Amino acid sequence: MATTNKKVAIIVSILLIAGSLGYLALGNFGENIVYFVTPSEVKAFTPETYTKKVRVGGMVVKGSLKTQPEPVGLTFELTDGAATIPVAFQGIPPDLFKEGQGAVVEGQWNDGQTFRSTMIMAKHSEDYMPMELKRAGVELPKKDFMKTLDP
Amino acid sequence: MLNRFIRWIQRYKGWFGGAAAVCIFLGLYIGLFASPPDYYQGELVRIMYVHVPLAHTSTLAYSVLFFGSIWYLWKRDPLVDNACQASAGICALFTALALITGSIWAKPTWNTWWTWDPRLVSFSVLLLILGGYLMLRKLVDDPERGGRYAAILAIVGGIDLPIIKFSVEWWRTLHQPMSFSTRGVAISDDILIPLTLMSIGAWLLFAYMVMVRTQILYLTDLLHAKKGRLFSQTHFSQTSP
Amino acid sequence: MTGFYVRWAIMVGGLILLALMTFQQYQRDLSTISLATVLNSPATSKPVRIQGMVKSGTLSGAVDQGQATFELIDGPTTLPVEYAGPPLENIRELKTMVLIGHLDPATKTFKAKDTALINNFGFVAAAYLLTVISICWVLFAMSQRVMVLFKEIKDEKLYEPEIDPLGHNK
Repeated sequence: MATTNKKVAIIVSILLIAGSLGYLALGNFGENIVYFVTPSEVKAFTPETYTKKVRVGGMVVKGSLKTQPEPVGLTFELTDGAATIPVAFQGIPPDLFKEGQGAVVEGQWNDGQTFRSTMIMAKHSEDYMPMELKRAGVELPKKDFMKTLDP
Repeated sequence: MLNRFIRWIQRYKGWFGGAAAVCIFLGLYIGLFASPPDYYQGELVRIMYVHVPLAHTSTLAYSVLFFGSIWYLWKRDPLVDNACQASAGICALFTALALITGSIWAKPTWNTWWTWDPRLVSFSVLLLILGGYLMLRKLVDDPERGGRYAAILAIVGGIDLPIIKFSVEWWRTLHQPMSFSTRGVAISDDILIPLTLMSIGAWLLFAYMVMVRTQILYLTDLLHAKKGRLFSQTHFSQTSP
Repeated sequence: MTGFYVRWAIMVGGLILLALMTFQQYQRDLSTISLATVLNSPATSKPVRIQGMVKSGTLSGAVDQGQATFELIDGPTTLPVEYAGPPLENIRELKTMVLIGHLDPATKTFKAKDTALINNFGFVAAAYLLTVISICWVLFAMSQRVMVLFKEIKDEKLYEPEIDPLGHNK
């Protein structure tokens, strides 16, 4: 009895590992796994895909951020360099959300006009330095942001 | 009586543990007091001093497991098998902690505890592989056969290492790209010092923990073997005359 | 044996000391008072720290040059702020800010001279405590176990048959 249980457990664990490895190999090795789409790809959406829930990543265009007091919300533009889409969000954005920085938004390209976002995630870059250096204008060698959108 | 290597560990492991303690204490002190906050993330950057060392020590640990498994399949030295099992256990601990601290860092910076980002997924798969490895060892009754299967699993699972490493460069991710790359080092000295200290501390700590764990596994096996011989000898002496 | 416990006592003591020092420093540097407290307290020239969110549609001024006026909200309380100080890199509407300055009692405006970091060290503390405590716990259990095993191996008792191999006692 104990040995049968053990055999089942072994088979289950092997299946689990093989499954996760297979998922990795098939999902990530092809280009099927796309964590987010870019504004250019959103612009190419057809009416059938308007209601699909997607994540869009891009840079928040400087000077495009507008907030509304009632109900609390904001609108801004997201760009990948080639195309720009307007985004609307209701609620308070995360603290690290900022113009000129990356953001990934979840939501729908509802009417083909505005991206209605239900969640904003702030994408930060890989450079780290104290405020004094930043104010002195130091730039560390980081990856060009637009290149992180479309490797 | 004891294996030469186990005796070597017993003599020198203290140096590794001591060096790890010094590096980590110094790193914690600088990381928590003497280093400035980041221009963008503020105090939250301090989470990096635990998260990043944990994360790349766990990939180092898996590399040890990977090459150790190849060595074991080649030479079939049970002590190498013990060392592999030891690294797998420590690697699982570090991987789990790296995932949890990453999640704690992600909430206030990205605004989410978890997301299906390629880096996060591939790193979690590492934990799954290690879970499977340890389970396989426990479940197969014959330790020699279990060690062999587990070694094969560890070698196959090694495919995950380059995926983790380059996931942030190959695919679109929310996780930031590598700070150390061919582009240069994108971390200023004030922040680099505690990070380096904690990283060296984590490597030394891993080395120390693997040594102790290898000793435990070896000594347990030795005790089993001795008890086994004890039974057969006494049984023989009482039944044969 | 004693040396082992002494080493561990020193290490845990050091970690607790470090934790207490950190806690004290952050308490001192990151404590803030609420907007309501500032409005109701008697006027002092001593700088205080306040935390609140920049109200939507109120931010104006040359942020890059370190000049800005806006309103800060904290629950039902609203406080107009005049900021003059270092350039404000990270300010925007609907963002939580910590400001250092004092209340002008005549105009009921907060004169801010600088910004400070938001007190979110709960996350930092959680990450550190979790890592340090779990690694210490595992390390302690491991070191103790290996000590016991070495003792057991060297113990002569191992060679005395403790269990009757023929099973007479069981």
